[in-house]
Amino acid sequence: METIIAVENASYCYHNTIQALVDVTLRVGEGGKWAVIGANGSGKSTLLRLMSGLVHPDSGKIFFRGQEVSARSLKDKDFLRFFREGVGYIFQDSDVQLFCPTVLDELLFGPVQLGIDQDEAMDRACGVMKMLEIEGLGNRPSYMLSGGEKKRVAIGSVLTMNPQVLLLDEPTNGLDPRTQCFLSELIFELNEAGKTIFIGTHDLTLVDEFQPTVAVLSEEHNIEKVGSADEILQDEDLLLKVNLIHEHMHYHGRTAHTHRHSHYVYHKHEAIK
Amino acid sequence: MTGAASRMPFLDKSVNHLAALIKTTYIQWDTAHKEGLFQKLDARVKVLFLLFFIIIVSVKRTLLPEVAIGGLVFILAVVSRLDLLSFYGRVLFLGFVFGFLIALPSCLNIVVEGEVIMPIMHLSEPYQFWVYRIPETIGITRQGLDVVFILTLRVINSLSISFLVIYTTPFQEIMKALKSLRVPDTFLMIITLSYKYIFIFAQTFEDIHLAKKGRTVKANAAEARSWVAGRMGFLLRRTRTRCEEVFNAMLARGFCGEVAIHNWGKVGKMDIMSGAGLLLAGCFVLFI
Repeated sequence: METIIAVENASYCYHNTIQALVDVTLRVGEGGKWAVIGANGSGKSTLLRLMSGLVHPDSGKIFFRGQEVSARSLKDKDFLRFFREGVGYIFQDSDVQLFCPTVLDELLFGPVQLGIDQDEAMDRACGVMKMLEIEGLGNRPSYMLSGGEKKRVAIGSVLTMNPQVLLLDEPTNGLDPRTQCFLSELIFELNEAGKTIFIGTHDLTLVDEFQPTVAVLSEEHNIEKVGSADEILQDEDLLLKVNLIHEHMHYHGRTAHTHRHSHYVYHKHEAIK
Repeated sequence: MTGAASRMPFLDKSVNHLAALIKTTYIQWDTAHKEGLFQKLDARVKVLFLLFFIIIVSVKRTLLPEVAIGGLVFILAVVSRLDLLSFYGRVLFLGFVFGFLIALPSCLNIVVEGEVIMPIMHLSEPYQFWVYRIPETIGITRQGLDVVFILTLRVINSLSISFLVIYTTPFQEIMKALKSLRVPDTFLMIITLSYKYIFIFAQTFEDIHLAKKGRTVKANAAEARSWVAGRMGFLLRRTRTRCEEVFNAMLARGFCGEVAIHNWGKVGKMDIMSGAGLLLAGCFVLFI
């Protein structure tokens, strides 16, 4: 599998003081499925922003199809177009991503910026609306959408650009179970269709369902381990260490239990007091 | 808690006004999607109608054309199924403030000379200051009253035409119409972002206020003022952060400094016919 995005020894600090990533190295193969998991503040979103070329590492490098992605290379309009066409980034907060007057304008924004023919842009927008089941929302302004609808539109706004790589920041966060299920299936189908998927999440259910290659970010902001979903999800000591599961005590009738607990996958009783 | 609320009425009022702003917009969205005549028209035709009739209102200075325009707008408001009480309530209030009150001094013979029909005060002799002359008898003139009446009518007509278009056209359609009229894309993008920001700002402010209110047992007016000042700075910082995030979202979707917005299709036959009808009506008013 050819490498499509590579992160090499990337480190990043906010305001030169708050460390967000330390010496991260990853190689994402074309058509692959990846997830980076970690506790809040571990640097997942920062890693996705680095990979999308929105911020640039203090040290280390990012490559897209073998070409370095830097502030300098993105000044070249041809490379900028090549990169933006290739890599789509879906923000955690959909409100940030929806800035056009209506849903249809949102879907058309990306293709129009890339200079795609108006008719083709409209065809893409209609196709994406059908795929995401938001056909009735075309003329709706974004502030009149529910959380789930906003997420669909945010994803649609990137899909109309038809990128090869999709970077999704906490895609299931704050959504109801049905929308979560819809999104999981959509991500799976997009990957089946050949898109490279890279998710930043702490939703272990999503990781379990999607079975990606998983990179675990520690609270020290470096890569703790890279492995298959099964391998990572079964390593409870690792998940406990990076704060993705926790130990707690509760009662079943009059009996107190202490066990390792995640709100997603793990609810395994270990010891009875 | 009721005591807390009564000690900070200005805060509650401001928040209520912001909430009302959001509600008003939802109502505008609702009226703009009613099954009325004007709602069905293409936004481009409506924007052209607005510009054309505002020019006519500005050009005509006699009673008959203004009354004719007022009548036309009234008919259009009725067939567009607008809530006439709310519609004319706003128009008349703003017309009173920005038309009548501002023009009111013009009815005195100090501003507009003419036949005094209602004397107000008498001076011992007339005075002359530079180019201004204060007559011996200060009063309301017939010509001055005409000026105030016509000016108020013109303001009311301008407002009612604008409200008619705004109430029957969703914001995004107005933007598309402006795009068709060759208004620069960058300018439209700025208006759209600013419009959207109003809602986010109002929502954030309301959330902050309610979060504070939910934790306030004993209120102190001085503390409340200090808190408001602090939160203004906080909102400004949040605004800047959000602005950067939205800009990043634009960059991620291919924006490279030059805004491009999708072009919209041709105007339909019905819209052209309606536009022609409005144009004829405008020309008729122009020549009476």
